[in-house]
Amino acid sequence: MRFGDLLLMSAGSLWKRKVRTVLTVLGVVIGTASIVVMVSLGLGLNRSTMQDIENNGGLTSVEVREADSYMMDSGTSDKDRKRLDDELVETIRQHPHVALASPVLTVSVLAKCGAYENYLELQGMSGEALEAMDFPLAGGEVPVSEEELTFLYGNQVLAGFMNSRTGSGYWMDGTIPDIDLEKDSVFLIYDMDSYYNASDNDGGQQQGGSVKPPKKYLAQYAGLMEGGLDTYKSYSWNVYCNIVPLEAHLKRIFRGKVIPGQPATASGKPYKQLYYNEIYVEVDDMENVAEVQKWLTDLGYQTYSNTEWVDSMKKQYGYIQAVLGGIGAVSLIVAAIGITNTMMMSIYERTKEIGVMKVIGCDMGDIRTLFLMEAGFIGLIGGLIGIAFSFLISLVINRVVAGMGMEMTLSWIPLWLAVSSVFFAVFVGMAAGFFPALRAMRLSPLAAIRRG
Amino acid sequence: MKNSANVITVRDLYKIYRVGETKVRALNGVDFTIGRGEFCSIVGASGSGKSTLLNMLAGLEKPTRGQIVIAGEHMERKNENELVRFRQAHIGFIFQSFNLMDTMNAVENVALPLTFQGMERRRRVKKAEEMLDMVGLTKYKKHKPTQMSGGQQQRVGVARALVVEPEIIFADEPTGNLDSRTSREVMELMQRVVREKRQTLIMVTHDNELAGFADRIFHIKDGKITRIEEQTGREKK
Repeated sequence: MRFGDLLLMSAGSLWKRKVRTVLTVLGVVIGTASIVVMVSLGLGLNRSTMQDIENNGGLTSVEVREADSYMMDSGTSDKDRKRLDDELVETIRQHPHVALASPVLTVSVLAKCGAYENYLELQGMSGEALEAMDFPLAGGEVPVSEEELTFLYGNQVLAGFMNSRTGSGYWMDGTIPDIDLEKDSVFLIYDMDSYYNASDNDGGQQQGGSVKPPKKYLAQYAGLMEGGLDTYKSYSWNVYCNIVPLEAHLKRIFRGKVIPGQPATASGKPYKQLYYNEIYVEVDDMENVAEVQKWLTDLGYQTYSNTEWVDSMKKQYGYIQAVLGGIGAVSLIVAAIGITNTMMMSIYERTKEIGVMKVIGCDMGDIRTLFLMEAGFIGLIGGLIGIAFSFLISLVINRVVAGMGMEMTLSWIPLWLAVSSVFFAVFVGMAAGFFPALRAMRLSPLAAIRRG
Repeated sequence: MKNSANVITVRDLYKIYRVGETKVRALNGVDFTIGRGEFCSIVGASGSGKSTLLNMLAGLEKPTRGQIVIAGEHMERKNENELVRFRQAHIGFIFQSFNLMDTMNAVENVALPLTFQGMERRRRVKKAEEMLDMVGLTKYKKHKPTQMSGGQQQRVGVARALVVEPEIIFADEPTGNLDSRTSREVMELMQRVVREKRQTLIMVTHDNELAGFADRIFHIKDGKITRIEEQTGREKK
């Protein structure tokens, strides 16, 4: 028989038994939809996490630190100590897979604004790197200027300010500090040691004011990150500035003295150049992150990227997906049993018809194909409607999740899932119809012409 | 009679059913030959073995012993799939209860064997329509079996059996479900058509009057051919 004729005939016999076909298809619809929705939940979770990671510095960035940076200040005289300097930044920049390398200089300061106080971490980076990090801004601009020292505030910086008189703050009692980072004057105190010495003396009353309180510097506003006080991103707590004016500024403040956090020579004098806390490296492609990391580790530095963590996350979500998919698969198995049952019924009913077909010359193979196609059709229609249904459910789930105020797509149906689930439904249909089809093929044609 | 002219040769045919402990000899040693263009009827009481004989000739049942050679091919040596292929090309079948497909109209029913052969739609519809014209159902081409009388349905059945231009047509009580007037009409139709096309028709019936339409009548009883009656006064080719 021709393929088209087989197709028409099997579709015709489904059409003839509409109610039963619809019911059987319904089973497949539910089965397919439950698998797809379950898997889409796993995928959605996975993707949301990936996007989170992307927000938190992405998958291509590598942090480079000194090898023993976590055992700080074991001794500053160690000459072999591999420090992070401009030379290293330049070396890293030359690596073929490195798109960008920027020194990161972290300085702790105390910020004061009226009665409010906050400890801030200033992150000095190159203008190029600051732009590449692509911060979402609520206002202002990225501090690219190498002339002026201006600051880009993270969206949660404001929440850290505490009223030094009342002791109230956002984290204590939920009062939002009455500060406008752009308009109000925020002063920064770089020399915190002196500051504490001075204030301790204040508290302890006299002791001969030998220590002068350090100078305060007005912080110039550059911009503010987008996001509320509760939206945490990896940069939310930080204050970014351009490293060039920061270095100049620090050198000016601590002229002749060792800048806090910087190493000193054996005699307690500062080095000529500044050493960095970290080097921020952006790799050209996710694939090459591991290679660059290895190269840097071999050079004797400590590196950190999201890659290892992402791998373990992926594995974890893989398990979740498998479990969810398994739950969904149960209903598809039930649907498959439904298909088998329907096909069996159909064959019992059509024993005579099948017999007649064999007597007047229908190939055994064609009969098998007819029934397989019928089962496959049930799978196909069920799969198609099921996937459409899944998109609907997915939409509803995401609406509900969005309605609960979460910024994520919980359910995500990629194209490959949609396509493969339809194929899978057809496959399940045909597998369920296989034995009934064999049975039909082997039916004796004699049954047909026995009188009755 | 030349051997090559024989369309059907049956040698020493046995069919033994086992019913519990006892053996039932449905066919108990049958020999005969049938030539091209012959119209034979097989007559016998119910349980005489006539239907078993027909089923074996059509390859629907396997003989216990013996040979059946049809159009030069040994039926007893074929497997089921080969038998289907053989029927597709060489055999037409007319049923007592018509056995038309309810969902298909007359043309589609008649064209069905051609569909099984894999013939292209336009050609098979044309052939089926010619067949329906020949059996006198020109006006009923688009009718479904449920919209036709018994006689009309059996005409469709005849057309379906003839559409592949088979060498041999088997008819199993073709008028068993029809009244006597319609029966005669259908019989005359079958007789006329096979004469024109020089096809071999083998009909099983228990009605002696209808058997009389045939050139030869095989009387069968207890699994054996008891008598072969040559119809005289008829031109034979």
